[in-house]
Amino acid sequence: MKRIRGIGAVAFAGAVALALTGCQQGSASNGSDSEGDGAVTLQFQSLSDQPATQEAVKTIVDTWNAENEDVQVEIVQAGWDGTFDKLITQFAGGTAPDIIHYEASSIVSFASDGYLADLTDHIDADLKSDISEGVWDSVTQDGEIIAYPSTLQSYMVFANADLLEAAGVEVPSGETMTWEELQEIARATTTGGNYGLGWGLASPTAAMMSLSLGFDGGFFDGEGAEASIEVGDGELAVPELIHEMAYTDKSIEPTSLTQSGSDVLASFYGGKVAMTVQGSFQAANIAADAPEGFNWVALPPLEGSAGAIQAANPQTYSVNVDSEYVEESAEFLNFFMNGENLASIAYADALIPSSGSARTEVETLAADDPAWTQVLASGEGLEGPPFLKVEKYTEWKDTIATPAYQQYLADQITSEELSAQLSDGWTDIAG
Amino acid sequence: MTTRRPWYATALMYVALAGFLFFLGFPLLWLLSASFKSSGELNSLAVNLLPAEWDFSNYRSALERQNLLPAAGNSLLVSVATMVITVLLSMPMAYALARLKGRLRAAGTVWILTSQVFPSILIIIPLFLVLRSIQLNDTLFGLILVYVTFTLPFTLWMLQGYVAAIPTELEEAGEMDGASRMTILRTIILPLLAPGLVATAMFTFVSAWNEFFLALVLLQSPEFYTLPIALRSFLGAEGQMQLGPLAAGAILATIPSLIIFTLLQKKLTGGMLAGAVKG
Repeated sequence: MKRIRGIGAVAFAGAVALALTGCQQGSASNGSDSEGDGAVTLQFQSLSDQPATQEAVKTIVDTWNAENEDVQVEIVQAGWDGTFDKLITQFAGGTAPDIIHYEASSIVSFASDGYLADLTDHIDADLKSDISEGVWDSVTQDGEIIAYPSTLQSYMVFANADLLEAAGVEVPSGETMTWEELQEIARATTTGGNYGLGWGLASPTAAMMSLSLGFDGGFFDGEGAEASIEVGDGELAVPELIHEMAYTDKSIEPTSLTQSGSDVLASFYGGKVAMTVQGSFQAANIAADAPEGFNWVALPPLEGSAGAIQAANPQTYSVNVDSEYVEESAEFLNFFMNGENLASIAYADALIPSSGSARTEVETLAADDPAWTQVLASGEGLEGPPFLKVEKYTEWKDTIATPAYQQYLADQITSEELSAQLSDGWTDIAG
Repeated sequence: MTTRRPWYATALMYVALAGFLFFLGFPLLWLLSASFKSSGELNSLAVNLLPAEWDFSNYRSALERQNLLPAAGNSLLVSVATMVITVLLSMPMAYALARLKGRLRAAGTVWILTSQVFPSILIIIPLFLVLRSIQLNDTLFGLILVYVTFTLPFTLWMLQGYVAAIPTELEEAGEMDGASRMTILRTIILPLLAPGLVATAMFTFVSAWNEFFLALVLLQSPEFYTLPIALRSFLGAEGQMQLGPLAAGAILATIPSLIIFTLLQKKLTGGMLAGAVKG
């Protein structure tokens, strides 16, 4: 009997819980909301994950809200994980926010499905001219600008200056650094159980696609679902170089190839690897987490046969095509993207701002930090890559390219087989 | 006559048990240790079970930055409600499924098994649209309904096994003594079914407590976020991870689960013993 009373108590607790949840109703609006006083409220889904960046975004939004009583912006804080699935459901269900923070390569399919507003005529003229054509190109789909490009990352080489010096290597100081120089330094600093380079390539496709542009390796021709692929010498140059360093020179720490970029930092801090290739944003983490006295430097941007070119895959701010307030959303984004605001976000995230005026602001903010000089320099070579125009790129990347690169980097297939897998896989996907 | 177990056999059993407990508990210990380590230590090659310097800031930042406490409250609400509704619904259904014969039972069994083969990603958009049409998307109540729908088939399947294990002779004996059907259910079946109900409740609670994807898609307002969503906020773009706050948040997230398990486990043991005596 006692047990039955216990079950009854749990049932009662459940009923109370249910009653409470019944009282809680979330917004089932369409993302936009007209308040009784005529003010418009825009929902702004932000993915900023660093505390400093969240604070910077909040400050900008607060400033806007204070100056624009009739157009209020409400931040909806979300995370990167699962965002694609969440957004696609929201779009299909008609409940996506007015303003959407994401990245260029991931919004292509949303644009293809007609979910994003054409912002071409809404973008502030000064802002338009302050951002390079290459970067605008990365957010242009079928002649329509589908997003404001905000911050970018490049792949950079960070080095333990003491280990380079111990190996008798002079820290490169030119405007760029060739892959051959990287190989030489890696060989020179590989001693005993230590390696010259640690490179977290557990998810290798993004790095390969980006750095291959330095060898004219564009992979795709054409746009949308009609794009064709070509995997030639330019496309294979970077993976072959890495493979050579890993299995011929033995200057890359082999386990690092199966780790994430962040995982490799422990080996870098511990002096087990002399250099590591990381996203430029890691400059902020290295500055914060490196052991006291750790003498590190950011090396010049890597240069291939076509130059120090990498893919611009910027973080983006788009407007939901179904929003009732596309114009107001764009006005807010014009304010959000002004030089000072963008610089505060980029600096907090250790990313490269897309606009020239923001870069100038960051140079001022980071005047005492030499690593930022190289971070900003690497931004000069960012160009809109062909894969951003390809509709099924994400599918190809996840199902074909990543496993193929992983097999190649594990020395399980040859570069010819890699080439065949990448090409045939695209043919299968594109039909 | 029984032979006394030699002392070394007992000692070996305890050693094996301690080893097994350590094996099971080590990830939790490591998580606990990580939650007190500084960012620098977490990013070093040092392998220390005890932090070199105890750093409590991870807990502070976990609680301050991602609204973990409100999220934990939401998770608790959703998990308890899901657990209660599922158990209340599956109890009579499981009894019927176990005791009834014929085509309806077979059809019910097929339905249960079929419903388990659909991954949630496949039905998330229709589900979202249905919930939206009844204005229950972005509500905790809507999420509870979805969780109940998803867990019910399995709990039903699980519980009907427990019902089937109760000998029908006990019910027949009750009938012989003149007990009504409801009296038989209340006084004979329910106590014997208690371990099954508790196991079902624990399974349902844990499923709802840990669920991420449905909550991520169906909840849009940050004030309704559940704990897994709040914890995932420590993972950033490009695999960035705030390991210390994430570990601290994960430790905090296990506490309600541990409390529920401790409370329910007593019932599970009690129920088993009751069943053993009567069976």
